[in-house]
Amino acid sequence: MSGNPEDHIDMESLDDLKDIMEDDFQMLLDTFIVDSESKIEEIAGVIADGDAEALRQVAHSIKGSSGNVCASALSEVARQLEAMGKDGDISGAPEVFEALKVEFATTKDILLNKI
Amino acid sequence: MESNLKPISSEPEEEILRILIADDNDSDRLILQTIVRKEGHTVYTACDGQEAIDAFKKLSPDLILLDALMPNVDGFQAAREIRELAGENLVPIIFLTSLKDAASLADCLDAGGHDFLSKPYNRIILKAKIQAFARMRRLHETVQAQRDEIVKHNDHLVHEQQLAKVVFDNIAHSGCVDAPNIKYLLSPMAVFNGDLVLAARKPSGGMYVFLGDFTGHGLPAAIGAMPVSEIFYGMANKGFSLQDILQEINTKLKRILPVGVFCCACLVDFSFRNETAEFWLGGLPDVFVYRDGSAIEHFASQHLPLGVLAGDKFSTETRLIPMARDDRFYMWSDGILEEVNEKEEMFGEDGVLKVFDRNSDPRLFFGELIAAVAEYTNHAEQDDDHTIVEAIMVAEEELGEYFSDQDSRSLIGGPPDWSLSYRLRPLTLKEFNPLPLLTHLLMEVPGLRPHSGKIYTILAELYSNALEHGVLGLESDLKSTPAGFAEYYLQRTSRLDGLAEGAVIFHLDHKPIENGGRLTIQVEDTGPGFDHGEKDDGHKTAGYCGRGIPLISSMCESVRYLGNGNQVEVVFAWSFDS
Repeated sequence: MSGNPEDHIDMESLDDLKDIMEDDFQMLLDTFIVDSESKIEEIAGVIADGDAEALRQVAHSIKGSSGNVCASALSEVARQLEAMGKDGDISGAPEVFEALKVEFATTKDILLNKI
Repeated sequence: MESNLKPISSEPEEEILRILIADDNDSDRLILQTIVRKEGHTVYTACDGQEAIDAFKKLSPDLILLDALMPNVDGFQAAREIRELAGENLVPIIFLTSLKDAASLADCLDAGGHDFLSKPYNRIILKAKIQAFARMRRLHETVQAQRDEIVKHNDHLVHEQQLAKVVFDNIAHSGCVDAPNIKYLLSPMAVFNGDLVLAARKPSGGMYVFLGDFTGHGLPAAIGAMPVSEIFYGMANKGFSLQDILQEINTKLKRILPVGVFCCACLVDFSFRNETAEFWLGGLPDVFVYRDGSAIEHFASQHLPLGVLAGDKFSTETRLIPMARDDRFYMWSDGILEEVNEKEEMFGEDGVLKVFDRNSDPRLFFGELIAAVAEYTNHAEQDDDHTIVEAIMVAEEELGEYFSDQDSRSLIGGPPDWSLSYRLRPLTLKEFNPLPLLTHLLMEVPGLRPHSGKIYTILAELYSNALEHGVLGLESDLKSTPAGFAEYYLQRTSRLDGLAEGAVIFHLDHKPIENGGRLTIQVEDTGPGFDHGEKDDGHKTAGYCGRGIPLISSMCESVRYLGNGNQVEVVFAWSFDS
């Protein structure tokens, strides 16, 4: 992963979001981070269970929420997991899941710096 | 505090809405909630479908932003239940979705969603959608309110019409339209009908039948029908002539109806004794006479409808046709002729003639005509009022009694003992029919009203003999052939027009007797008279006076010719029991 924040987050849109949310911006990021961490744990569980439909749902949720906080790279990785869940073939999921965890860590760092 | 970004505008779409946001994702919900709140709206939130349904029940929000995929009850199911709960109210549902495939979007619509909002949320698009749905919701409420208002008004109107119809029916149907010789069909398109059928027995024993078709339908048409009915029944009962009734109705309608509203009409005077029909036809389709179950004659309208021409331009010229027993007279409003088939071709007079052609039993014709029209239009909704009247020439006895004995036996209140003389000179003879006046006068005698039919008949026969044979010198023999019949009336008109001298004098005398009275009627004319030496017995006078005198004799105590035959005296004795 590159160190350039633009590769992970649409910084211009994030600035807009910060303007909109004003005082609630930090709460939004906290909410996003807590929510995402719990979902990442959930993904670990459903991949272990081999539950493709559950994977699709959780990944769909991450895709949406990361999109809303302008984390486009994270959203894209979540989309790949969602697609696997939808196809019912999750053999490649553990590898993508690792990428998701790494991307989330990077995103989280950038977002926290933004506050 | 926060900077106020709201544009200053008086546009109603800036109204504050109560918006429910249902999303299981905390950060998504937070963002959306913040955006919506900043637009000035009131926000309620729910974390899944069930919470959304519960919130809807409790808060009935104006608009719902609903995530599609949620735990417990998902967005699709929640949308269905909310639509069900909303009933006929419009509650806009916008699905929040990052789903992109067509099938998923179709599911949203199937569940009752009105629109979509894609993640990540775009503030401008969201605002536009909220405003659009606010407008749509307002529009829907306005339409509903207007619809409810219309329903209310319509119910009110129908109720009023039903009440008015009761009054109307009491007036319009107080006559004898249900007499055994009349069949009629009145099919209303509304509670009221633009068509009017009236029938009344005349004091002289004949019958008036009236068919009117007002321009328009419903209330405006029925309003005109009220005075027509009143005049018709009022004047018919008093023995007024067809011409007098027409003149009166026309004058009244001309005065009260707005321009462009009028009454196409046919008024027929059936004389069962003379076996004639005299009619005036203005603006209606041709009337038909069905003779002997084979021959058809029809007569076209000669006049403008009633209520069009002012009194001095209005003509009451009629046609007089002989009608044998069981001949049938038909009249109808243009409704049936203008009925169209699937090719928009009118039923027309041809259609009527075809039904005549096919008919083998005149008694069935009326029903066959109605069936033929229904079949022609393939039983479609009718476009106009259909009114058909059939009147059959019958013997008077078949019609039964008309005047009811509704007067009390009391002698109080009227003149029982009196006499008068009434001399009618040429100008009066030309213009005025004295019979209604005299009948009216005689009906003031307590107890005499039940005998008004006979009295009218006596007066009418004696008057027409005195006028036509005495003063005008017409020969009654002329009336024995159909051609002579017409000639007779032609001569009557021309001689009356040229009348310069002469008179008819009525001497009426009424005296009370035990349990009744004795009415003496003398009618004198200024004509040359005739040798009545052998004709004191009325039954032998048939050749001279036509059918009248034998009939009068049968009703009276005595009939005598006096002087040189230009004077006749009839004594009519009556009792309360007869």
